[in-house]
Amino acid sequence: MSKQTKYLLQGLAFLLAVAILSLLWGQYPISFATFSDYLQFKIFSSGAINAQTFSLIDNIILEIRLPRVLLAILIGSALATSGAVFQAMFVNPLVSPGILGVLAGASFGAACGMLLSENWLVVQIMAFVFGFVAVAFALFIGSMVTNSRSSVLLVLGGVISGSLFTSLLSIVKYVADPYSTLPAIVYWLMGSLSMAQLNEVFFVGTPILMSIIAMIFMSKYFDLLSLGDEEAKALGVNVTLIRIVAILLATLASSLSVVMAGIIGWVGLIIPHIVRMVVGPSHRLLIPLSAIVGAAFLLLADAISRLALSVEIPIGILTSLIGIPIFIIVLKNARAAWN
Amino acid sequence: MELKPIIEVKNLHFSYKKHPVLAGINLELYKGEVVSLLGPNGCGKSTLIKLILKLLHGEGTILLNDKSIKKHSHKEIASLIAYIPQYNNTPFNYSVLEMVLMGRVSKLGFFALPSAHDYEIAHAALKKIGIEHLLDKAFGQLSGGQKQMVLLARAIAQEVNIFIMDEPVAGLDYGNQIRLLELIHELSKQGYTFLKTTHYPDHALLVSSRVIVMNDGKIIAAETPHKVVTKEMILDVYSINVDIITHDLHQRCVPIFQKNN
Repeated sequence: MSKQTKYLLQGLAFLLAVAILSLLWGQYPISFATFSDYLQFKIFSSGAINAQTFSLIDNIILEIRLPRVLLAILIGSALATSGAVFQAMFVNPLVSPGILGVLAGASFGAACGMLLSENWLVVQIMAFVFGFVAVAFALFIGSMVTNSRSSVLLVLGGVISGSLFTSLLSIVKYVADPYSTLPAIVYWLMGSLSMAQLNEVFFVGTPILMSIIAMIFMSKYFDLLSLGDEEAKALGVNVTLIRIVAILLATLASSLSVVMAGIIGWVGLIIPHIVRMVVGPSHRLLIPLSAIVGAAFLLLADAISRLALSVEIPIGILTSLIGIPIFIIVLKNARAAWN
Repeated sequence: MELKPIIEVKNLHFSYKKHPVLAGINLELYKGEVVSLLGPNGCGKSTLIKLILKLLHGEGTILLNDKSIKKHSHKEIASLIAYIPQYNNTPFNYSVLEMVLMGRVSKLGFFALPSAHDYEIAHAALKKIGIEHLLDKAFGQLSGGQKQMVLLARAIAQEVNIFIMDEPVAGLDYGNQIRLLELIHELSKQGYTFLKTTHYPDHALLVSSRVIVMNDGKIIAAETPHKVVTKEMILDVYSINVDIITHDLHQRCVPIFQKNN
């Protein structure tokens, strides 16, 4: 078995374990034994569990916990994958959907969408369009001062773009109905996986999942692009096409994550760094493994947000609280991984 | 039977910000040749190479296998020519095997990942260059000479016949310079075609079947090494005095200090 397959299988096993634990943990804890009895009954329609307990657990798992677990997996991997792809596209390990302003842009777009329409599709499209406008604006500012590729200026461009859309979002909040729309927007923006319903997860999840898969299968190009445009072209890559497609996919995945769960920061920045430290920089492994580790990370963060206090802590706040110390630890080591 | 050139450049002009860099370049490259492009800094050597690889766009005609490079995609060019740039560090420190595998990407479909066959070819390329022991090493931690060897292995993994190298020995120590030149010589005997730029007239004498001298964006000579690398040419292009001596039937270029004696 190749080293890559081994890492991916280990990652998947870890993710599966965390996912099962997340199904069991909660206000109503389910033991392992009960869970295996439940699974046995579910599959073979017979076993050491009575019908009443079965329907209770069935309800908890299918109606409440499973959608949430699926959503956490989807969003964690969307953010981590797009973070890794943005870092590859701009050959800049300091960028992420949050830092490039994509999350702020998407939240402004989604808030406008909520204000204008009840239609989910409108909200999604608005989030994607403004997520893309935000990253384009960050790039524009980054390239305005100098033609050469500057890591710091792009980060600065992202910060400016992010604050622009945060300000615009404040205007939306200001004009929103303070009794209904405003609290909804504010609560949603703090980040939450609690609104998850199975059909919604499938509806928004499908385009997210498809862009994650596309990014994984494009990963061989990301290695080449990080060598610089000239070398990549000489190695046969259509640099412009790959760059546009990859940026669109990463923007789509991270913007839609905002629609589903608000602004969840730091995942897109730290997960690729952690994965790179462990398995090295090759994107053929980095991209799929970031997807897996990002999913597991968000599942764990969600479990903490549900269990730490008697009230649920918004997950966006929690990922920042966890992400900042991790990033400080990672930063020094991460430098070694990218020279 | 008259041989057809695999690369043919006709009346090529290129300007950078209205400043002319190349003016009316004509050049032909035939299968099996080792052509050294010689000339001082800023004479347009690297620009010419980049134009042939379609990394820059100029005015004039460049034919690759009788077809204009404008009609070749980068993928098609990469299936005919391998480019070995001056080594540099990437922000992401890939392993040697990963660097060599990158030579396979032009052969793969849009969503395809390298297969076992591609790994085999990468391993074989490393073996051919004699650096399979570096397989798992990080590219960024290698010496300049080793990096050039890895990029050569990547070119071999690309399974093409033409290698274009931009100052392959720049920044290498003396031993690695000579080892790399010997490797180029060996590969040329196996049928690979080389077009390389160089700063060293002596290296041009050492491994070339033809030397092209450029100055001020023009080709001023294109002939066999001993006809081109002469005292007069070096004085003309570099403004220094040299002696051309013969050692073991091969010619060598020996510089002489201006204020000698």
